[in-house]
Order: sequence, then structure tokens, then C-alpha cells
Amino acid sequence: MSELGRLALLLGFACSLFAVGSIAWGLRTGLSGPLRSGRRAVWSVCGLALLAMILLERALLSRDMSYRYVAEHTSKDLPLHYAFTSLWAGQEGSLLLWLLILSAYGSAFLFAYRKRLDPFYDAVAMVVASVMVFFTGLLSFVCSPFRILATPPPDGMGLNPLLQDPGMMIHPPILYTGYVGFIIPFGFAIAVLLTNRSGTRWIEEVRRWTLFCWAFLGVGILLGARWAYIELGWGGYWGWDPVENASLMPWLVGTAFLHSVMIEQRRGMLKTWNIVLIVLTFQLSIFGTFLTRSGVLTSVHSFAESNIGPWFLGFILFSSTAAVALILYRKALLESENRMEAIVSREGSFLFNNVLFVALTFATFLGTTFPVLSEAVTGTKISVSAPFFNRVNVPIALALLLLTGAGPVLSWKRATASVLQRNFILPLFMGTLALLIALPFGVTGVYPLVCIFAAAFVTTTIVMEFARGVQARKGLETGALPNQVAQLVRKNKRRYGGYIIHGGMVILFVGVLGSSVFQKEAHGPLRNGEALKIGDYSLTLRGVTEQQKENAVLTTAVLDVNRGGKFVGTEHPAKALYLKSQQPMTEVALHVTPAEDLYMILGGVNEDGTTSIQAYINPLVSFVWVGGLVMLLGTLIALSDKMRLRREEKEAA
Amino acid sequence: MRLLIPALLIALGMASTAYAKVKDPAHEITSQIICPCSCGEVLSGCTCETGKSMQAVVENGIRAGKDKKAIVNALVAQYGEVIRGAPKPEGFNLIVWIAPFAATLLGFLIAFLVLKRWVRLRALTLAVPGPSRTLTFPSGRALGADLQSLRDRAEAELRELKRTR
Repeated sequence: MSELGRLALLLGFACSLFAVGSIAWGLRTGLSGPLRSGRRAVWSVCGLALLAMILLERALLSRDMSYRYVAEHTSKDLPLHYAFTSLWAGQEGSLLLWLLILSAYGSAFLFAYRKRLDPFYDAVAMVVASVMVFFTGLLSFVCSPFRILATPPPDGMGLNPLLQDPGMMIHPPILYTGYVGFIIPFGFAIAVLLTNRSGTRWIEEVRRWTLFCWAFLGVGILLGARWAYIELGWGGYWGWDPVENASLMPWLVGTAFLHSVMIEQRRGMLKTWNIVLIVLTFQLSIFGTFLTRSGVLTSVHSFAESNIGPWFLGFILFSSTAAVALILYRKALLESENRMEAIVSREGSFLFNNVLFVALTFATFLGTTFPVLSEAVTGTKISVSAPFFNRVNVPIALALLLLTGAGPVLSWKRATASVLQRNFILPLFMGTLALLIALPFGVTGVYPLVCIFAAAFVTTTIVMEFARGVQARKGLETGALPNQVAQLVRKNKRRYGGYIIHGGMVILFVGVLGSSVFQKEAHGPLRNGEALKIGDYSLTLRGVTEQQKENAVLTTAVLDVNRGGKFVGTEHPAKALYLKSQQPMTEVALHVTPAEDLYMILGGVNEDGTTSIQAYINPLVSFVWVGGLVMLLGTLIALSDKMRLRREEKEAA
Repeated sequence: MRLLIPALLIALGMASTAYAKVKDPAHEITSQIICPCSCGEVLSGCTCETGKSMQAVVENGIRAGKDKKAIVNALVAQYGEVIRGAPKPEGFNLIVWIAPFAATLLGFLIAFLVLKRWVRLRALTLAVPGPSRTLTFPSGRALGADLQSLRDRAEAELRELKRTR
């Protein structure tokens, strides 16, 4: 079977090469035959990647230890569902998943545009096929998942305990769907440059594709944060770890693009900038994979390290150089069709918002890569971690939050003094009011205060926009206010979907503020019957149990939780010692309320018989997850808006 | 709806008070230090053995009345600069502290200058009378839409041709 797997990948490589060559030939000569063949080759790669994945899954599920990949990432005592998900536990399997999603995107793209005979779409498919050449090549010649061991071991090394978590079953595929999806916008951008064609239609199409993968990447990031919160046991959910940063960077640039693309659609401006943002987003998503896979930086999320770093670096350098050369070559095509009427306008605010998004990405990129740079220059090993990012990125992010409120209430082209007065007085008043309320309650520090001001400011602008919309449609809609709001959103899903995303962002920021600034911590060794006090809570140790599980020994502390003297429940923080790796893992216990999480960790049983318990109160942490969900809801609403495309198609017909 | 916002803010403010100012001096140090073992966690949340022993050093130092800076320096002397969560802002490391803010300011400056230039160019164009106005700025957007419309018509005709064949 391993030969069949290798053959599938090799054929995939050949088909990808053929697709690139055939489509290029078709585009050059105008013949439809080569274009058709190229499209079929892209479909074939998807089928072959699926076959390779099925074969590898079969080996993983049957624990066929003759496969090196299976022996390295599973063991006979590994539960079946984790054996299935160990496909993305290692480098080769992850790359295979990358290839499968990539080829699925290529096929989905061709299916979506199957009725369009425009060679422009073939050019997009050619770009996708070019990237498939790289991945099928890597999997065929550099790191095949189908390598066979000369003498298979009796049992495998087991799966990294960190990955034995339900969150890890869905987090990587969702994250990859986001990462890899940026190939389609990238393909569109390169196709525009290759075919020397601009226009507004492609930009609407690319916006929808970008929004789709941006949403997946966002959900993937949030799931990663949730996994870190539950599985890593340090009390937080975002540690500015290199791999976390790697996933955040394309999301940030993608967000910048989703804003600036509106200017191109409405005013035919910022064409070059938009192409640059698309290229950068894709390059950063490849860079993310490079960081995770190369081992160039230490990370708690980096589960597979190897020597493929130079290949990725070479690919990033080659593809970005080619893209920059094409942008320069087609400079005339990307000329703006209009000029700005006034600096104080929605266009102006979007441009400044883009500067902040890119600056935030740059700060994250520099901080993430600086340890390598510094060591190369000074020879001293340094760390650039959460304490750095909290000081540098937070002020930029807060400025962004403020602009989130300002941008949508400025008019297109020119914001007059009366517009400014009408739209800003109430938000500024509410922001100031929020500050005045927060100050006497003891909230201190510039960042928390700015965050509170900005949250109130942005919330007010969003509410005002909804109120205005409802007011404007007063004669048209009937029924109660929620019904009118629902009708309003239905009539302009894109616009109000965007506002809902902004609202989600505010909720998320409030959650981050609450859980970081106001976190409480307590720890101590306890004997049976003794209690640990934290805030209003009292945690009384009732005992410690030991239990043999499928592939680990679980030590569990039994804690009675009282709040204000009232019993609220029994919690079970635990420590799992995985038998294969002899690696201890923290199993966090959570007592969740809407206002705060009580987060409990079992440190271990000490030599003197005491039990180490660590506890945190994380206020408003649920706001982080709720904010993320609201953002997802807004994205789904915005994505469901097909009005503009339909209108354009109607006009074209 | 306008009453809703102040109500939410008051709730937020009240919630804030319950939690404000809770960090202890040991936490101030441990939240700035990275565990030197392979776990790479911030020391305040680290549960590995190395982390625990370093947390104990910090807590003992605080209890003994030692200066925070002295405690950090002693740890750095033992484990190296790598344990600082944020590099010391000196020498080559200054780049990582200055560059993000410098880049943000530069970005703002460039954006402002570009916007200013575009506004000026537009004003100049509007000042030119007669047909040259349309020559200077042909409606590229409309042209693009026309081209697209023609392209779509051609596509539709091709499809029709293919079907009839």
C-alpha cells in the first residue's frame, strides 16, 4: 500500500506540472483544449491527494508500524479517534493535509466557475496548480509520509500528549482551511497581473473568497486559543507564541485587505495596494507553515520540526519576487481611476486603518523573528515574548479599535463639519462617560482606560448606525424593533454584517481587558481538608485519587468549591502521566460563570504529602469566546450577501 | 437603546472594581520572565519543575525584602538573557523596541502625504476647464464595466454557439 501512496503523490506532482504547463500553453495560444486538460489535471490532483490521505489514514488506524510516520506518531494504546487525527500530528501528514485542502480549493474554484469560459479563471487555476507543484514535490521527494522502516518496531512512540485533546481534532483542519484558502485570492491577484485585466467584478469575487478563508482562519485562531487555555494550563489563552503569531499575521493583513478592497470597489482606487495586501497575506500564510514546520523558532505549538525550512524559504522568496516583478511590470494597469476628495473621509480612515493593521503585523513579525536576528548579529540568545508584545502591540491594537468606531461613521468622499458633529458627539460623550464611571471604581492604567473609552465609543457608533438604518426604513418596515433590525440586516447584509463583526471585536477586546488586567492568582500546598482562598472563592482539598486510563495514569485532586461561604460544586483538576512518553500533562478544571472563570490546576503531589494547587480567577474570559462567535455570525451574514454579484451579472447580461 | 449603553458601562465599571489591583510583587517579576526549560512558558503560569523552583526563588527574594531588579538580575546571571520575556532596550535590541512605532509613524506620514497629493491632484484637475477634464481622468471604472459587459456577452454567445453545435 505504501507504494500506491507514493505513486499517488508522484502522479499528483506530474499532474500539477502538467496543469501549469497546459494552462500556460492554452493562455498563450488561445486554444481551449490545453485549458480543458489543465483543469482536468487540477481535479486529478485532488483525487490523488484524497487517495494518499485515505491510504495514510488506513495505516494510522490499523497501527501499521512498518510506516515510519505511524511508528513516530501513534502507539497501540492510542484511542482510535486520536489515531485518526494523528494524520496532522507530524510534518508529513500535515503537509498532506495542506495538499488535500489546496487541491480541494482548486477543484472547488473550478467547479464554482465551470460555466465561465473566460481564460482569466484558468489563469487563477494555473497559480493554484503552481503551488500544488511545490507541495506534491515536497511530499514526493523530500518528506514522504509513506516511508517504510526496514525493521518495524513492536509499538510506536505514541502521540504527543498535548495533541490528545478534542480541540486538536478540529483546530488544525480549520486553521489550514483558512491558511490554504488564501491561495484563491492570491491566484486572482496574479491572474489579474498575468492577463493584464482589471475591472470591478474580480474584486467582488475575491472579497468573498477572502472573507471565507479569513473567517476560517479566525475560527482556527480562536480554537487554538481555547485549546491553549484548556490544555496548556498556564491560566491564559494567548501567549504571543511564534506559532500563534504566525496565524495572526495573515489574519491581520487579510483584515486590512477586506477594508481597503471597499475603496477599490466604490472608488476604483488603491489597486496596487490591494494586490500587495493579497500577496502579503498568502506569503504570511506560507510563512506560518514555515515557522511551524522548520523548527527555526521554539514554540509550544511546534510539533513537527525538520529540514524542510530552506524549501519553504526558497518558495516564499521565489513567489514573492515573482509577484513583485509582476506588480512592477503591470504598474499602468493598477493606476487609480479616481482621486481623493478630502483627507477626512471614509477612504482616508480606511487608509489609516490599513497602516495600523500592517504596523501591527510588522511589529508581530519583527518580534517573532527578532530572537533569530539578534542571535545572528550579537551572538546572545534572547527571548521576545508576551511581555514585549503586550507593551508594543497593545497600543497599536487600541488605536485600531478607536478607528473601528470612527471609520464607518465618516462619509465617503468627504466628511463635512456637520457630519463630524452629528456622528461623533454622542460616541465621544459615551466614551468619556465610560471613563468617568470606570475611574472612581479604581480602574487604573492608560491601556485599560483607553480600552474602556474605545469600547464605549465603538459600541455607540454601531448602535447609532443601526438606529439610523431603522429610522430611515421606518415607513417601509413594520413590527417590533427586533424585527425591524432583522429586516435592516437582511436588506444590506454586507454592511450590517460588518458592523456585527465590529461589535464582536469590541466584546472580544473587553474580554481581553477583563481577563488580563483583572486576573487574580493564588497557589499553595494543601493537605486534606485545607482550603485555598482566591477572591470570593474557597477551594477545599477533599483528597487525591489515582486512576489508570487507556494510555495514561491520571492523578486527580478533588476540590470543593465554595463562593461566599456557599457550596457551588466539586471540581477535579488533574495531572495525566502519559505512559509512552512519560510526559506529565495538566488537565485544567474550570468553573465557568458568565462573569468569570475559576481556573484550577493540579501542580502535583509533593514529597511531604501536600498537594500543590494553583488557581486563577479570569474575569470576562467568556467575552473572548462570545466576541469570536459574534464576529463569525457577522462574517456569515456578510458572506450571504449575493446582491452585488447578482446585480453585476444582471447588468452584464 | 441609548439607555442600554450606559447600563452596560455601569455594569462593566462595577465588575471592574471587584477585580482591580490584585497583582502581587512576585507576579510582577514572574510575568516578565520566561522559563528557561523547553516549555517556554511565562514563569507566572509555568508548572514545570524548573519553573516552580524559579518561582520559589522569586517569592523567597520578595519575602527577604530584596529589590525586584536585584532578583531579576540574579536570575538572568544564572540562566542568561534568554529568560527576559522582553529584551533589555539597549544596543542592537533597541531596534525591536523602536522599529514598530517608527514604522507606524512613517506609515501614517506616508498615508497622509499620499492622501494630500491625491486631494491636490483632484483639485488641479477640476480647475482645468473644458474637455481636458474628461481627458485627464477618463472614467476608467465605467470603461472597466463596459469591457466586462462586452466580455460577458462574448462568453454568453460562445456558450450559445457551443450548445447549438
